Amino acid sequence: MSQSKIIGAVEIGTTKVVALIGEIVNGRSLNLIGMAECSSAGVKKGQIVDFRAASNAAHAAILGAEKSAGVQIEAVYLAQTGSHLEGFSHTGAVNVAASDNSISAADIHRVTSDAKGKELPPDRVYIHHIKHRFLVDGKPVEKPLGQQGKKLEVSYWSVHGDESNIRDHIHIINGFGLSVEDMILSSIATACMVTSEDEKRRGALVLDMGAGTTDWAVYRDGVIVGTGVVPVGGDHLTNDLALGLRVNRKYAEKLKIQFGKASVEKDDKGEKVWMVGDQMIGDRYLSRHSLVHVMQLRLEELFQVLKTQLGEFGTAEALPGGIILSGGASQLPGMCELASKELGLPVRLGANPQWVRDDLRAVEYSTALGLMHYALTGQHQEEFSLPRPEKGLMRKVSKLFSL
Amino acid sequence: MSDSENFSKSDTMFSGDLEGESTRIKIVGVGGAGTNAVDRLQLDSTAGVRLAAINTDAQALNSSPIQEKLMIGRAITRGLSAGGESDLGRKAAEGDSDAIAGLFQGVDLVFILAGLGGGTGSGAAPIVARQASDAGALVIAFVTLPFTIEGAQRHQQAQDALGDLRKTCDAVIPLPNDLLMEMLNDDATVLDAFAQADIWIDRGVRSICTMLSQTGLINLDFATLSKAFCNQGGKTLFGLGHAEGEGYVKKALEDLKSCPLLNLPEYTRKADRLLVNIVGGTDLSIRQVNEIMSAVTEQFGSRENTILGAVIDESRQNSVDICVLGTTDVNGARYARKPLRKKPEHELPPLALESADEDADEPVLKTASANQMVRTVHRSKLKKQKDDRDTDFQEEFLFVSDEEQRGYFEKTERNVFEGVDLDVPTFLRRGVRIAV
Repeated sequence: MSQSKIIGAVEIGTTKVVALIGEIVNGRSLNLIGMAECSSAGVKKGQIVDFRAASNAAHAAILGAEKSAGVQIEAVYLAQTGSHLEGFSHTGAVNVAASDNSISAADIHRVTSDAKGKELPPDRVYIHHIKHRFLVDGKPVEKPLGQQGKKLEVSYWSVHGDESNIRDHIHIINGFGLSVEDMILSSIATACMVTSEDEKRRGALVLDMGAGTTDWAVYRDGVIVGTGVVPVGGDHLTNDLALGLRVNRKYAEKLKIQFGKASVEKDDKGEKVWMVGDQMIGDRYLSRHSLVHVMQLRLEELFQVLKTQLGEFGTAEALPGGIILSGGASQLPGMCELASKELGLPVRLGANPQWVRDDLRAVEYSTALGLMHYALTGQHQEEFSLPRPEKGLMRKVSKLFSL
Repeated sequence: MSDSENFSKSDTMFSGDLEGESTRIKIVGVGGAGTNAVDRLQLDSTAGVRLAAINTDAQALNSSPIQEKLMIGRAITRGLSAGGESDLGRKAAEGDSDAIAGLFQGVDLVFILAGLGGGTGSGAAPIVARQASDAGALVIAFVTLPFTIEGAQRHQQAQDALGDLRKTCDAVIPLPNDLLMEMLNDDATVLDAFAQADIWIDRGVRSICTMLSQTGLINLDFATLSKAFCNQGGKTLFGLGHAEGEGYVKKALEDLKSCPLLNLPEYTRKADRLLVNIVGGTDLSIRQVNEIMSAVTEQFGSRENTILGAVIDESRQNSVDICVLGTTDVNGARYARKPLRKKPEHELPPLALESADEDADEPVLKTASANQMVRTVHRSKLKKQKDDRDTDFQEEFLFVSDEEQRGYFEKTERNVFEGVDLDVPTFLRRGVRIAV
């Protein structure tokens, strides 16, 4: 019997909303059947500042995707970002109950709920619990069920966010008459697309440099062990240019894309660029050196902030796989070199895997594709998951808002 | 010519008959654009102000309604224009320097209006300024800088002329057309674009005239103005803000902050001496004056170097005009000239209020206006004042209150990381100077 489920992946970004529609067949294979994107409004630094505008943009994108696919979405996977997201690592431990020291499903259930059970302040909710690994008597174990041991431990990277911010996102989807199946951190969604299996295993940092925020995720031993958000992105570059060169935002954005670079080079000194380019009244020269200088200062600072935030995650020992850059701002010439210089690690530009359709290959779709990927693997997990009262990992949030 | 000479001359004239006589002001347009700007001014007559026009183009001069007209360089251009050659303009002015000097006899304050980039404006304006200055007047020049698209040659001519003017005028206020354009919306016409400069010149000249001609609650008079400009060659900070209706104080401050003249990147935003004139209706309260003062001084200078003027104009109920005029002793790196002859005793006038040399130097000034000047010295703030006047090249101190510098992110939550707001551009926070 063939069972298919139509799911939507929605990323309400700072510059645009991307909606993808995929069909999951038998919970095993995924076909992308529709997509639409729409320029975003009412979102700054990854957070919704104007609900109405953001909602309209998101609805337009979802509607477009449904039209292109010719089907209706059943459930939505939603990307989350913003400075309100925080993460911490928490470990749970239990003594194995059975007299023969063989680990039972009940033990596993106890230890996982223990590890995930840390209470949050009233206005915060969990978004993710990412399991690092089980330890049986201190030894890493893939599947503890039935193993012998006295003590079972598990540690999770738990991400939590501000309830009202998350509720806004969910309300936008609900407003379209859809339910949110799950929420996934943008950085995690992106990371699983642009990173190779080898890099995930060895340990790597994924930097998703978006318009509103720069999201990071750190892989170690094949799983994500840390995530974070620096609320500085491409929009900040534009804003800096607008203020520094005294041009309006529209031109600042254009100049950034056309002439922007990550760092100043020797021959920028005398180079002049036209502000508008049409050489009409009001057009004027700007020094490219000034332009790049403004950007370089911002980017250097961004990497320094990242370095501070990364802490021990960011050391060369922790990241043999180096850094993978993704997102719109990563496309600036010289970004890899600057990132490498500031963070002291090898850096490469991320790309979506080969199997992705050509028109979705651009890095800007990584997050939405990652959501899809997550949706698919989520289905897998359900099949062999241990008997747990909650099905997926993140049902909690969905329940919370009684969807 | 030394500054102090200039200074004391005008001063003696002034102190001669302080009661009855008002400051004699002359507004001189040099070249085509300058004459046009003067024409526009004439529409609203400000008392005690005389207008004059100097041009090489007989035709343009004839069509101008200004009474006092001076045709220069007849021998060189035969009454035709300088044709965009600043050399011709300069020669024309040099040839007729006596006639030019005649225009400035007995004048206290001269405004020179010119459009730089053209022949007469660029060439003659510095000469006219020197004549006026030699005649003992305080010289303030409002000059427009050409649009970039007018070409590199005009641009270069304008920059050279600006440099020359800075050497001879007490204050030069450049109005780059490019930046003024930014204030217009997309469907503005070419005429609008050029007229924009005239509007700003008009506002600028009028605000200074008002400051001098109307007796204020806290009066700013000519002596004060002269004193503020005692140091030639420095750059001038000039900004205007206007608002009416509800919450006008706040709105006027906003307007002032967005004044394009204050945002020229080549300027230090902190002035060494600051003159603030506030014109408001009878409903202007001292609390509002104070609010304006704190905001202005915080942004542009320290309070102890600020001179405040407040004028009450009954016809201006429920509105306020703010005029900020500041000078710096900085030699901008872009116009690296010979180091200016600096007069140490003039470097620190406001703080040296009680010092002996002030009495020795400017006795007249003291009686004329010292009691009317408001100079509040807050000891607590003194340490904020960096000792950078000693250095030839003052480091740019961008004294930004974070509120104002978030641009696009203004309405969003603060983005605080380790005590700094990341939404404020990095270059501003680090005080890095960005040349445009």
